[in-house]
Amino acid sequence: MMGWITGVGWVAAAGCGRGRTAEAAPQWNDTMVIPARKDLFEKADLRFGRLDGFSRTGLAGITMCLRDADREAWQDKRAIATMALTTGGCLQTDLDYLATVVEGDGKLASPNLFAYTLPNCFLGEAALRFGLTGNSLILQQDGGAELDVLGRALEELAWSNYAGVMVGFCEVPVTGLPCPSSGYGSLFVLIEGTPEPPTGSYGKITLEDNQIFFNDNPLASFRHLLDACLTALKCRD
Amino acid sequence: MKQVVLSRAALVSPLGDGIDTLWQQLVAGQTAIAPFERFATANYISAYAACIKGLVAKGGESLMVAMLERVAQQMGPVPADCRLLVATTKGEIDRLETRSRAGLPPTSADLPEAFIRRVAQRFNLPSGGVNINAACASSTIAVARGAAMIAAGQASAVLVYAADIVSEFVFSGFSALQALSPERCRPFDQQRSGLNLGEAGVALLLLDEERAQREEAPVLARLAGWGAANDAHHVTAPARDGCGLILACRQAFDSAGISAEEVCAINAHGTGTLYNDAMELTAFGSLFDGNIPPLHGIKGSVGHCLGAAGAVEVAVAARALTEQLLPPTVGCRNPEVAGFNRIGEKQQCLNGNYLLCCNSGFGGINGALILQRVVS
Repeated sequence: MMGWITGVGWVAAAGCGRGRTAEAAPQWNDTMVIPARKDLFEKADLRFGRLDGFSRTGLAGITMCLRDADREAWQDKRAIATMALTTGGCLQTDLDYLATVVEGDGKLASPNLFAYTLPNCFLGEAALRFGLTGNSLILQQDGGAELDVLGRALEELAWSNYAGVMVGFCEVPVTGLPCPSSGYGSLFVLIEGTPEPPTGSYGKITLEDNQIFFNDNPLASFRHLLDACLTALKCRD
Repeated sequence: MKQVVLSRAALVSPLGDGIDTLWQQLVAGQTAIAPFERFATANYISAYAACIKGLVAKGGESLMVAMLERVAQQMGPVPADCRLLVATTKGEIDRLETRSRAGLPPTSADLPEAFIRRVAQRFNLPSGGVNINAACASSTIAVARGAAMIAAGQASAVLVYAADIVSEFVFSGFSALQALSPERCRPFDQQRSGLNLGEAGVALLLLDEERAQREEAPVLARLAGWGAANDAHHVTAPARDGCGLILACRQAFDSAGISAEEVCAINAHGTGTLYNDAMELTAFGSLFDGNIPPLHGIKGSVGHCLGAAGAVEVAVAARALTEQLLPPTVGCRNPEVAGFNRIGEKQQCLNGNYLLCCNSGFGGINGALILQRVVS
């Protein structure tokens, strides 16, 4: 199974970024700032303001990824799927929502917060903003490697008629819980079936015998993949 | 491509444990939706839900643990090489509620991975399971994913475990969204006024058909096709033209290699909300060129079981194909015009081999499955 990485976008400790404008590889650690509207979009955006922190972080990664692939603008809806791996998901939003329930014995339960107590909601937000009609799901796993989700994305691409699959991870701080191994933030890559976008591709990604390869070199992590993408871009330039 | 079968199904539902009991109750037009006492509902817009009888949490544990135990006992051993796909939207949310009310922070036990591990351990499976969260289409998508894995030869056995409970967390949220029905819900009825929550735990064993034959495993139905698509329209409301559901169903027809005319019945999502049911009828009208086959929904009997809804409905749909009978849609006394003579409170006889099962959820997601009757 194979595809081409055509876009890379992220929210890391230093903020939002994308592959083709990055001066250096970003760092993910135990600090992050939830993206604000002005970090992503020029115009005022009421809906963005309603999003919870988890959704903002995920949506920002996806937005930067599509922008990197020159796929942000659209007229007709597109058969692109979205898959995101998360450990904590929207647990902080759950806690924030629960506080509104407890405060007034249910009378003050926030409908807006409740709408974001499902971790897949930011994928829906991305779908409607960017016209993405493929499958959209959150994956949470017990054990396994973080790159397993890339294998699942390549399977999704191979087993469907999708033009592409956007896949990555999204994590935000949760009160009382340690930072996950990925660090806080998000990273998404767009994998397409053909290397045809205006910007070209970073390289080929393949799944062979449960191992992920980028340009025929084995990968160990998302950070490794990002480094490989940025190196490939520099070599080409 | 390999053929995929549903080999076994175990479930606990508000209408009883096991598919035999649930089926009898559904065919008899029973409902488990009633006022309940799990938590106070005075401040919410409804006092109704469908809760599982005798479901009791042991000291500090979640109801999900007791539910898992009942399902696992009913299911018995599963193949040791099963790949595990879990489908829950909120997992052990009652435990988080209890801790939160006590002013305690969450722990790693509140993360979904802890529940996946618990399910794996209970079924004696190795770690490495995955939870698929696609809102109320979670288990439909999980079944589709499991079937795709088997069809592609990546696995020969997949266990889908789907579960969600009636919790104050979710109940208060749907109440705040004005989505709960203040009375027993009435899916596809002209007077429908919202949904009632339900709860269920379901284990579905999917097998490569050749393996099932070789091991003389039971076969409840063949999973002939599947599809998934996003409306790309709104986060909490369905697209009124049903565009996402239409796409998902067409994918399912294509992967099953059938035309819409070959579908003899539909198990619809049928939540009882104004917009969902209208969207589904619009989508079905388009898919079947106005000639909608007999359809039904079970949420008037067991409530909306959230992430487990699709899995319960797959088990019921397989039985419906076998019996060539569609249970009544409880609460649908005066059907929407688009569903007239196709849905109602009476049983409907079937004459065909393919049944469409579909679910939709927050985030604009839609999942569709085609079940095929297997005649032994």
